[in-house]
Order: sequence, then C-alpha cells, then structure tokens
Amino acid sequence: MFFRLLFESFRRQKRRKSVALLAIVLGMTVATAMLAVANDVGDKVNEDLRRNGGNILLTPMDDTLDVDIGGVNLKPLSESRFIAESDLPKIKGIFWGHNIKGFVPYLSDLQQLRVKNRVIDAELIGTYFAQTFRYGKEQFTTGARSVNGWWKVDGEWPQDYASWPQGSAPEVLAGRTLARQAGLAVGDEIELHGKTLRISGILNTGGAEDNAIVAPLHIVQQILGKPGEVQKVVVSALTKPEDAFGRRDPDRMTPADRDRWYCSPYANSISFQISEALPNVHAEQIRQVEQTQGKVLSRISGMMLLLTVAALFAAALAVSAAMAATILERRSEVGLMKSLGASNSTVASLFLTEAGCLAIVGGLAGFFFGAVLAHRIGLTVFGSPIDVQPVVLALIILAALIITFAGSAGAVRKAMRFDPAVVLRGEA
Amino acid sequence: MRGKQLFLHLLLKASWVRKDRALTALISVAVVASMATAGLTVYYDLENKLSREFRSFGANVVITARTGAFNDAEISTIKSAIAGKGAVVPVAYAIANGPGNTRVVIGGANLAALRNLNSWWSVQPADSTGTALVGTRAAALYSAKGAGFEIGFGSKKIQIRPKAVFTSGSDDDSRIYLDSSDFTALTATASNTALVRVDGSPREIQDAVTHLTSALPGAEVKPVREITHAQTAIVGKTRSVVLTASLIVVVMIMLCMVATFTGSVLERRKDFAVMKALGASDGTVKVLFAAESCLLALAGAAAGYVVGCGIAFWIGKANFDAAILPDPLLLLPVLLGSILLALIASTAPLRLLKRIQPAGILRGE
Repeated sequence: MFFRLLFESFRRQKRRKSVALLAIVLGMTVATAMLAVANDVGDKVNEDLRRNGGNILLTPMDDTLDVDIGGVNLKPLSESRFIAESDLPKIKGIFWGHNIKGFVPYLSDLQQLRVKNRVIDAELIGTYFAQTFRYGKEQFTTGARSVNGWWKVDGEWPQDYASWPQGSAPEVLAGRTLARQAGLAVGDEIELHGKTLRISGILNTGGAEDNAIVAPLHIVQQILGKPGEVQKVVVSALTKPEDAFGRRDPDRMTPADRDRWYCSPYANSISFQISEALPNVHAEQIRQVEQTQGKVLSRISGMMLLLTVAALFAAALAVSAAMAATILERRSEVGLMKSLGASNSTVASLFLTEAGCLAIVGGLAGFFFGAVLAHRIGLTVFGSPIDVQPVVLALIILAALIITFAGSAGAVRKAMRFDPAVVLRGEA
Repeated sequence: MRGKQLFLHLLLKASWVRKDRALTALISVAVVASMATAGLTVYYDLENKLSREFRSFGANVVITARTGAFNDAEISTIKSAIAGKGAVVPVAYAIANGPGNTRVVIGGANLAALRNLNSWWSVQPADSTGTALVGTRAAALYSAKGAGFEIGFGSKKIQIRPKAVFTSGSDDDSRIYLDSSDFTALTATASNTALVRVDGSPREIQDAVTHLTSALPGAEVKPVREITHAQTAIVGKTRSVVLTASLIVVVMIMLCMVATFTGSVLERRKDFAVMKALGASDGTVKVLFAAESCLLALAGAAAGYVVGCGIAFWIGKANFDAAILPDPLLLLPVLLGSILLALIASTAPLRLLKRIQPAGILRGE
C-alpha cells in the first residue's frame, strides 16, 4: 500500500513533482558549480601567475657578489661561477617536480656588437625560448615564452638551436630600445666576435632586456666560450602561500614536522629540494613575487569561499521554499489520509520518502549539470577546465537530502496539525 | 462593497489567510534579490579591494634619468604626480670597493622609506645604531658576525655598520644600501633612479605612467611589467569568475523562484475558477494575481537587498579587513528585476488556465 501510494503520487502529480525536482536540480547545480569553482580558483589564478614570471631564483654557490645595476650584469664573465646546464632537467625530478611549471636559464655578458658598420655596447642574453626536455618518460617544454608572459615579440620568436646552424645565421631578438637607437629592424644582421646573427623579432619587456640582444642559450654559450653553462635560473613553481609553519627552519624541526614541511609545496621547501637535487646551487624564493602573491591568492580563495557559503545558503533556502510550497498545497491529501485512518508517522514517512526520492534524483542531475557548468566556467575564464572531485557527489546528495527534508518537514507538520474535517471542507 | 475596496480586500486577504504560501514566495524572492545584490556589490568593489592588496608588491614603476641625476624639480614633479596615492623612493647606485679587493653595488636612499616600500624583505635587525641595510649575500661575505667593515669609492672610504641584514631573493641581496647623505658624501652623486609605487587599478597605474612620461621629458618611465601584468591578470580573472559565478547562482535560484511562483499560482486554479464563475473578467483576475505577486516581490526584494548588502559587508570585513559598502545604485535594478520576474512567473500560468472552463476546474477535472 505504501509503495503504491508513493508510486501513484509520482505518476499522478507530475507537474507538482517536476516543480520540486526542478528546484532541487537547480539548487544542487549551483552548489556543485560553486564548490568546484571556489575550490579551484586559487590554483587557477596561481597557474596564471606562474605564466607571468618565476618565483624561485637559482644562483651558483659563489663567494663573490653579483654586480648588477638596473638589471644589467656588470660582473666580468671571468669572475663568475656557473650552473651546469645538464643539471637543469633534475629540477623536474624533485618531490614536487609536478608543481614545477617551467624554468628559464640565463647567461649574459656585456658585448660589443657591430651593426651596419657601427660598434655599440649592449648586453647579450642567452636563454631558452621553448626548449623541449625529456625527464624520465615525461616530455617537458620550458622557456621564456611560457614563463615570462609579459615578453612580447614583434616578429618571430627564434628557435632553440641545439648547436650552431649550418649555412644560415642563427636568429635572435633585439630589445625594443636597442633596436630604436641602433635602427635595427626584423631581418637585419648584426656581427659579434666575427659571427653573424639575424634579427627575427623585436622584443618588448619593459625591463633591462629592452636594451639587450636576447639569443638562444646555446648560441650565446658558443659566442662567450662557456659551453654547457648558465649563470642563473628562474624557476616557476606552483606553491602554497607561506604560513607560520612554512617559514620555520627545517633544521630545527622534529622529524615528523620536517616530513610534513618537506611534503608541503611551500616555496621554501621546493627551494630546499632543488638545492638538494642540484649541488652547488643556491635556491631562494623571489620574495617580492612569492610573499605578496600568496597573500593576494589567499584573499581571492577566501572571498570565493565566502561567496560560496552565501550561495549554498541561498540555494538551500530556495529549495526548501519550493519543497514547502508544493507540500503546503497538499493539505487536503493529508486530511484525506488521516480521515481514512493513517497515523501521523505514516503520513510523514510517505511525504519524506517522496522528498528523499526527489532529493536523490535531483542531487544526481544537479551534480551532473554543476560539473558541466564548472567545466565551462574554467574554460571561459581560465582557458582550462575546472574539474569536480567525485567526493563532491556524496556531499551534494547528502546536502540535497537534508535540504529537502528540512523544507518538507515543517510543511508536513503544519499540514498535520489541522483537523482533517476542517481541511477537507476547505476551511483551513 | 465597491469594486476598489473588494479588490484591496481580496489582495490582502489572499496573503493573510495563506500566510505560509505568501511566506514561501516572499523567501524565494528575497533569496534571489539578496544573492544578486551580494554578487554585484562584491563584483563592483573587487578591483578596489584587490588593488589595495597589490600595494605590498612594492614599486610598480621605475623612473630613471636619461643623463646624470634627477634635480629637485623632477623629484617634486614625481611626488606631486603620485600625491598621496603611493610612494616615491629616489635611489642612487654605484659600484664601490669592498674589503679584500672585491666589487660591490651600493645604493643610496632614505632607508626607512626603502624598507617600507620593499615590505616583502625578510629583515634581521643587527645594530640599531647602524648606518646601512646590508643584503644577505653581502653580509655573508663582509660581515658574517654583524661586525662593521670598510668600503671605498675612488679615494674616499666609509665605515659601514649594518643596521639590519635583509633577504629579498633578488639582485638586492648582493647590495648595500646607505643613507642618501652618506652615499652622496662618499660618491658625490645624487639619485638617478626613482622607485615608485602607484596605488590603484591597472588602468590608474597606466594613466600615471602616461602622465609621468609627458611630465618628465628627461627621464625614462617604465612600469615594472612583471608586477603590472600579474595585477591585470589577477584582477581581471577574479572579477570575471565572481561575475560568472554570481550570474549562474542568480539565474539558477531565479528559475527556482519562478518554479515556486508558477506552482503556487497553478495550485490556486480553484480561486481562479470561483472568481470567474462569480463573473470576474479575465483582466480583473489577471490584475489581481499580478498585484499580489508585485506586493510580495516588492517586500521580498527590499528584504533581499538589505540581506545582500549585509552579506557583501560581511565578505569584505571577513576577507579583506575592509567593509564592502552597499551600492545604492543597485537598489532600483534589484527591485524592478524582482517585480518583473514575479509578474512573469505569476501571469504566465494564467494563460494556461484561461483555456479551461471554470466549471471543469471546480468539478475537479
């Protein structure tokens, strides 16, 4: 009898049920999408930032100081120490290697260029543009194009030559200011130590590179006579904003704390792991980037979290109101059942079972639509999809059950309080 | 009872007799209005709030004199252009000789201002009566135990006592910063670089750069692209996420509200039939239902606006340590939008009912 009542209720009251179901589906869609977006927004913005510059600086262990003014390296190459280029793929092999989004090595020196029979002094900077590596089974492309998002090139990016190209001049970039002062244009050739380079693009960075020639690393290594060596590496790593624990000195921690510190993606612990993997390299977080961006990121995540709380609350209220509205209209049904001898608990369990069925179906559909929505939001705003964790499904179904029960319970209790005779006469 | 009185009577009685029905409708409107208000209020204030956070990024514009040093007029031009919306720290650099025939970059600046600007520096105080801020690598090389050392420039020499040792994770770690007066006494040169922090949105920073470029023909004004680019990216992306998410939430709950409204109107087809059977015209019934929904929507939207402003205020206080204040311009759109929605939601189902004979409804068909 109970199941027949339940079944018939769904079969005969399709419109009423679809209103309630629609409300649950919509509410749960909102909940799923907001939870997914709030959970992911910090990571997405962080990933975006990592395309806008590195946050860890690698320098050789050195007992002399950098001599660097306005971003121009004034230290003679003969006094410099170097990092072996062949060590660089090891950066991907650290515990948090997956969080390393890229690295850009630099080798630079002040040089005399011969441009159209004039001689000018300019910095020659060697770097990767989009160098491909293999680490283990993983293919990995890194360089200025993916890490230094603010570098804009008018013309073509040069390729990363493995060695000096045969038969043609290697391509390089000329900084905007240098190009303007020396009258250089795309396609022009410059001469350096008797070697010819061809300008494939004009580089605009707003920094010291605007006054420099930026060339593929291996070309610069050959020109400067420093094969396989780089002066500094800027690493772009996804990190967790630093908290009090992240700032502690690992040497003074208990072993358990130290493990926890080591296995958290703080900039400090990633730097520590890089200096473990690359001996004779000093890794230090770029504090201007790391300290300040972490703060902004936690503000953004916090704000999305609060908005999500508000949205969840709103969705819960809206669903409850819809459930209550549909049940309130069914007073005469309650009156009829009661006058035919049904106990309060039977009536309540019938209504709550109905609500439970609606909640499960609505929760499933809402989760599905919410996941699709989150995916779309990720693609439109960040260019990469936002995925929903499967565990959210359980949460959503649970939430749907609680909300629909809460919405129905009050209305059912209210409907039962009336005298069946009064309700059936239509006087309530 | 005259027509007008009867109308008013019906209108108020309908809500009063079925208080719970009116209340659920009211709540669903209020929820939509409060989410719309909260989402939009946060959205409009977000650029402002996030840009405030970017103050801690330090200098976002660097101005360098093309030749020689800045004169006083140029420094005051820069200061007046920023006028309280940021900070200006003039700096001079030179290469000096450190102990043991080494070379070191020294900088001259107002040390307190420099330290304030570079708020991300991790600073270890050394000697409070000291005269210089020493980068961590320079300190490791020259003054491992915080002792003083001597640096020279040309024929002049100066004794350095570290006031503090800082770590920046940049070229600054190899530098020593002296007070401007000491620096000028040693090198006889004045500032040729100004580190400028412009507070404001990416657009305001760009405007300041344009203004400074035209006001200082003898200097090169460069935004620190790494910082401004990151700011533009963060602010833009976050705003669009907040807007998209709020829109989706509002549209969804709105649909939910429409469903509730439509449902409750359909449940009242008996009222509809009785009125018609007693001789009310289609127009009268429609106006009655519409007026009832308008009343509910107005009350719900007003409550929702207040709650929404409260939510935005709370988000600002809890997350940004600064309240997000209500935007009175939002009140009208929120009220009108809610009323419009309620009208559509309550009158659309009447069209369905019109097709059915009142007698049919009353017989329960």
